[in-house]
Amino acid sequence: MKVKEILTILKGELIIGKDKLNEEVNLIGAADMMSDVLALSKPGMLILTGNTSAQAVRTAIVTDLMGLIFVRGKEIPPETINMAKGSNLIIIKTNNYMYSACGKLYTAGLRGIDE
Amino acid sequence: MSNNQECRLSKYAFIFEDLTAEEIMTKHVSTLTADKKISQAKELMKIKKISGIPIVDDKNLLIGIISIEDIIKALEMGKIEEDIENIMTKNVVSLNKDETLPTIVQKFDKFKFGRFPVVDKNGTLCGILTKVDILHKILDKFNLLYLHDKKRDSILNKELSLITGEKLYREDAEFRHRIDTSDISKAGEGAAILKNFLIKKGINQDIARKVGIAVYEAETNVVIHSKGEGEILCFLKKDKIIVRVIDNGVGIENLDQAMKEGFSTAPDYIREMGFGAGMGIPNMKRFADKLVILSEKNTGTQVELVFFL
Repeated sequence: MKVKEILTILKGELIIGKDKLNEEVNLIGAADMMSDVLALSKPGMLILTGNTSAQAVRTAIVTDLMGLIFVRGKEIPPETINMAKGSNLIIIKTNNYMYSACGKLYTAGLRGIDE
Repeated sequence: MSNNQECRLSKYAFIFEDLTAEEIMTKHVSTLTADKKISQAKELMKIKKISGIPIVDDKNLLIGIISIEDIIKALEMGKIEEDIENIMTKNVVSLNKDETLPTIVQKFDKFKFGRFPVVDKNGTLCGILTKVDILHKILDKFNLLYLHDKKRDSILNKELSLITGEKLYREDAEFRHRIDTSDISKAGEGAAILKNFLIKKGINQDIARKVGIAVYEAETNVVIHSKGEGEILCFLKKDKIIVRVIDNGVGIENLDQAMKEGFSTAPDYIREMGFGAGMGIPNMKRFADKLVILSEKNTGTQVELVFFL
């Protein structure tokens, strides 16, 4: 599934990564605990999270993620966005809560890395 | 256990010479009183899959021990319905709970018993210790190479690798980063810069990622817990990367607990940032090829991570 399809499914807003709309998403997961991301993520993964702190972006950079989808329509602090600007990450925001966002993407065919 | 294995045990006994019987032993021990029937001891051994039972009086003082060999003897002599009192070994060789591993291993060598009851100075039973307990404890310790108090003083602050013994002078480090412990939002900054630095140096992305993750956890620990000042040093060697994350803070109170997944002493505001899940040290262990943590209360903590190229 392409990044732009995910945006459509989640009625998401693309904050960073306009040049990556046609990239293929192969690995996806969800986590609020950054330690879980550090422990379990795979390089190139897209992660849904309710954690909008700058730590989330820093964790994404260190673990070579494809990007982050911030759920619940939370306000993203400017330092989070600034840090992401200097990276290669895709940042998406959706008003869906974590459960619904994951459910919609799963229903659309995106499976977790444990399946 | 063969003689060969016993030799190896005595080798580890030297490395872990400060381990006490109390730390090694199994604490929950099945016991019987001497007025019980030998057949009851046989049933208990069968149910609990054990090969020896300490016999205690009503105050839990150790007065004897009965083993599978005693049961066989009782069966052969038709004494299986007699009291344990009649067949148990009364002069029990036991271990004091403060005895350390080298003397424990010596006792195993000398007496050839499979197990020793562990008692306190009054002779009250506090546990039982088998060779399997020793192996388990040693394996636990290998998760975390651990140096006891007397040796720590001489090693902490030495510019030698804790793992390889190589000289690692601070000024020779290819990468140095002061950890800003005053601002929690900066936790992980050094790890991210280090990872970038490694990629620029031509280190493969997978390894740079592993270093980044392990150092992220170590750095976050310094920021959250140390209440001191910290630094990240990275040494690039021909076949490996050595990273030291050091601080002069409060130290780790209980290393064994800190090693357990899910154990955390982090306050709520740290958890809200997505940390404090009790994964810090386990994550370091997962991504580094070798890990040594040296900590002394109120002196500081040194984490040394080795990644093979």
